[in-house]
Amino acid sequence: MSMTGNFLWLLAEAGTEASESGGFGINFDILETNLINLSIVIGILVYFGRGFLGKVLGDRRSTIATAIREAEERRKQAAAALADEQQKLAQAQQEATRIRAAAQERATATRAAILAQAERDIERLRETASQDVNTERDRAIAELRQRIATLALQRAEAELPSRLNDEVQNSIINRSIAMFGGA
Amino acid sequence: MLSFLTSFTLPLASLEVGHHFYWQIGNLKVHGQVFIVSWIVIGLLVFASIAATRNIQRVPNGIQNLMEYALEFVREIAKNQLGEKEYRPWLPFIGTLFLFIFVSNWSGALVPWKLIKLPEGELAAPTNDINTTVALALLVSLAYFYAGFRKRGLGYFGKYIQPTPILLPIAVLEDFTKPLSLSFRLFGNILADELVVAVLVLLVPLFVPLPVMLLGLFTSAIQALVFSTLAGAYIHEALEGHGGEEHGEH
Repeated sequence: MSMTGNFLWLLAEAGTEASESGGFGINFDILETNLINLSIVIGILVYFGRGFLGKVLGDRRSTIATAIREAEERRKQAAAALADEQQKLAQAQQEATRIRAAAQERATATRAAILAQAERDIERLRETASQDVNTERDRAIAELRQRIATLALQRAEAELPSRLNDEVQNSIINRSIAMFGGA
Repeated sequence: MLSFLTSFTLPLASLEVGHHFYWQIGNLKVHGQVFIVSWIVIGLLVFASIAATRNIQRVPNGIQNLMEYALEFVREIAKNQLGEKEYRPWLPFIGTLFLFIFVSNWSGALVPWKLIKLPEGELAAPTNDINTTVALALLVSLAYFYAGFRKRGLGYFGKYIQPTPILLPIAVLEDFTKPLSLSFRLFGNILADELVVAVLVLLVPLFVPLPVMLLGLFTSAIQALVFSTLAGAYIHEALEGHGGEEHGEH
């Protein structure tokens, strides 16, 4: 017991000496500097802390790595989808151009066909019309002729009684007989 | 037995708090040992930050991973206290408080500072000096006043008479008790922890102080968390005003 006391006394002496002596220095007293306990504490801390911190940091790292990988995966997928869609867009545009060209072509053909048909119709109509005009004129002429003939006959019949007497009648009959005789 | 008792009082006497390694700067006497360890702590943090950001990888590795984890941790503290909308501008402040106090506390609990002999006093955690903690607490006070004025202008004073003007003295008192409690809590915890360890080391040098030292590590971490959390809570309070009435007015 007394030994321990002396030991502590010595420690205390050393401590006061150190504080009184002044100036910087290094204290090599292992017990007073608490070196053993500190190293044990640090050892415990490192032993348990490393496991805990290592696990936490490892988890964090893998989480981040996974997140980044997934993000990159998604980016890649998105890029692929974009390329795909762009290709589809290009195809659609090509298709649209093709359809438009075909439509243009068909429109031209149809236009030509319609124009030709119209031309033909016009021709036909004109023909019909002129034909109609001709027949109408012929008919009119024939009617006129008949009417003139009728009129002339009426006039002749009207004038006939006044101009006709026996002498004339005889001469006509004679002339007619003469004509028969001549035939 | 008697010699044991007499010899026993002396080591206790050598534990006297208040021996400081003074530096004279102008008219000021500053505690040199606090500055030295503070600089070491600051240097450590700066070094860790530089090392973490020097070679940034997409998938964080090693120290970058560690520091990002620390950043996430302090961001959680700030976000929990200030909310998603307000936390970002205050993250550096709260994060720095947490990291500095945490590393200071743990340096006091883990680094064998006593290996280095000073002319007077001894190296220890900067936070076991009341000057450090008061400085940090006053910074928190400044920060929350700034936050309040910045957000609400002179209307910030409205919070003193917000529920009822009768509480005005208490509201004013709060502005003094906040830094006081912040600084004394941190200072008291760290100093007490280091004193208990030192006393136990003097009594029984080996193994017996171990549980207390481990407990000290725990308390130190908790204190850093408490300090930064409270700083965030005070800033949040200054931003939001008393109670929920402000929400209704907005």
